[in-house]
Amino acid sequence: MKLTELIQELNLDVRSAKGHLDREVTGGYASDLISDVLAHGNEGNLWVTLQVHQNIVAVASMKGLAGIILVNAREPEQETVDKAETENVPIMVTEMATFELVGKLYSLGVAGM
Amino acid sequence: MAADGNIGKIQELIYEIRVCDVMKGNVITVSPQTPMSELRRILREKRISGTPVVEGDKLVGIISLDDFIRWMAEREQDCPIGEKMTRNVQTLYSDEPLILAVNRFDQLGFGRFAVLDRKSERLLGIITKGDIVEGLLRKLEIDYYKEENQRHEEQHFFEDILADKSVLFFRYDVMGHDFKRAGESASRLKATLRRLGLNPQIVRRVAIATYEAEMNLIIYTDGGRIRVRVQPHEIAVRVEDSGPGIPDVDKVMRPGYSTAPEWVRELGFGAGMGLNNILKCSDKMDLRSALGKGTRLSICISIEEGAKSEAN
Amino acid sequence: MKLKDIERILGAEIVAGIGLREKDIEMACGSDLMSDVLAFMKSGSLLLTGLTNPQVVRTAEMTDLGAICFVRGKKPDQETIDMAESKNIPLLTTPLPMFESCGRLYRRGLPGCSEYTE
Repeated sequence: MKLTELIQELNLDVRSAKGHLDREVTGGYASDLISDVLAHGNEGNLWVTLQVHQNIVAVASMKGLAGIILVNAREPEQETVDKAETENVPIMVTEMATFELVGKLYSLGVAGM
Repeated sequence: MAADGNIGKIQELIYEIRVCDVMKGNVITVSPQTPMSELRRILREKRISGTPVVEGDKLVGIISLDDFIRWMAEREQDCPIGEKMTRNVQTLYSDEPLILAVNRFDQLGFGRFAVLDRKSERLLGIITKGDIVEGLLRKLEIDYYKEENQRHEEQHFFEDILADKSVLFFRYDVMGHDFKRAGESASRLKATLRRLGLNPQIVRRVAIATYEAEMNLIIYTDGGRIRVRVQPHEIAVRVEDSGPGIPDVDKVMRPGYSTAPEWVRELGFGAGMGLNNILKCSDKMDLRSALGKGTRLSICISIEEGAKSEAN
Repeated sequence: MKLKDIERILGAEIVAGIGLREKDIEMACGSDLMSDVLAFMKSGSLLLTGLTNPQVVRTAEMTDLGAICFVRGKKPDQETIDMAESKNIPLLTTPLPMFESCGRLYRRGLPGCSEYTE
C-alpha cells in the first residue's frame, strides 16, 4: 500500500516532505525507543511513535523508513520538521493513540512482521 | 485458620454452585459419521481429551483419547466414530448442584460428563474435574476480592475520629539516582491511603503525582523528602530536595521540554511530561526553585465530593 | 476479552499472575513511555510495551492497570516478576513485535484506551 492511500484513509495530517508521499509501505513498526527502531526497523516501514525530537528523523533516514506517524496529537519540534524537510522524511500526525492507530493500519493491510 | 476457613468455604460452595456455573459451553462435538482418523486432528487442534458425539441435537455418545488409543493399538482399519464411541453416556443436568457432579466423578471414575438441559435434553456443555477445580478457585477468588473491597469500602478512617481538627502526617525519604528502587515511596503511600479507606480515584491521582515527583528526585537530584499531610478534606504532598535546582521554572513546565539524559529516556522516562502530569492530577500545584539550593514542589488534592476526576 | 484470550491471540506466555487468566481486560494501550502511560491510561487496561524494567510494574501499580504484555519476546528479571506477583499484576510476554500485537488484538475487538466508553 502507498503512503498517500494510508494518509487519506486515516485522515493523517502531513507535517513534512509533502512531495515524498508516493512511497510503498512495506510494513509497520511501533516503538518509542530510538535504539529499538535502529535495531529492528526495516526499510520501507512506517514508524509509529510518541517521540518528537529530531533524532527520529536521523533514524528514519538511516533505516530508509517510509515515514513517521506521531500519535496522541504530538507535534514535531521545529528542528525536527526542518531536518525532515532536508532529509525528505514524511512526518504525519494524528490524535489517535498507538494502539488504535496501529489497529487501523493493520486492518488496512500494513503488517507488523 | 485461613486454610480452615477456605475448606469450609469450599464445602459450602460445592452445594451452592450449579453444574452450569463451571461447565464449558460451546462444546466441540463430532458426528457419529466422522472417521476415527479425523479424531486425532480434532483432539490435538482443540487441545481436548474427549468430545461428545451428537446427531442432530441429540447426544448419542462420547469419544475420548482412550478410545482413540485403543483403536490405534488394535491397528484396525478406519471406521466411523459411531462404532468406537461409548454409547451409554452418563450425563448431568445443568441445574444440578456441583456436589452431585463430584460424587459421580468419584463413583464412576469418568474423565468427563456431558451436561444437558433438563427440559429439552439438548447438549449444553461438558464438565471435567478440572472445570470443577477451576470454577471453585475462580469463585473463591471473586469472593476474596469482594471481601477485600468491602473491607476497604467499610473503612472510613476519618469518620471514626472525633476531633475538631485531625491531621495525619507521613514522611518518605528518597535516595537520588537509585533507579531500581524508584517508586517505593509512592507505592507505600498508595497502600497507606487505600488502607485509610479513601476513594480509589483520589488515591490514584495522589499516587501518580507522587510517583512522578519521586522519579524527578531520583533522576535529577541527590535525593530528597516527600511529606504527605492527610486531612479529611484534602491531601497535600510536598516534595523537597537540596539541589541542583531548576534554572527556568516556566520552561520545565512546557510539555515535551526535558533535560533528561539518554539513559533515562531509554528507560521510559524523561520525556518532559512529568510535571504536566503532576499538574493534571492535582487541584493546586506550586513549584519553586533556587539554583544551587534546591526545589520545592507542593501539590494539593481535594478529597471532598465533587472534586475533579483525574484525566479529564 | 479475558487474559487467557490475549494469551492465545498473541501466542504469549504468562510469567506472573498465572491464576488470573480469567481476568477481564476491556481495553489496551501500547507505549514505551511511562509518563505517557501515567498520563493517559485508564484503570484495568492492558499495557503493551517493549520495556521490561521494574518501573513498568511500578507504573502499572500506580495507575491500577489490569495487565502488562512485553513484546518482542522480552522477559523481565526475577525481581520484577516478584514485584508483579506481590501486586497481583499479571505479566505476559509475546514473541510478536508491538505493531503486530496491537494489530491482532484490535482486530479481535479489543478497543484502545482513548476509544473506550463505559
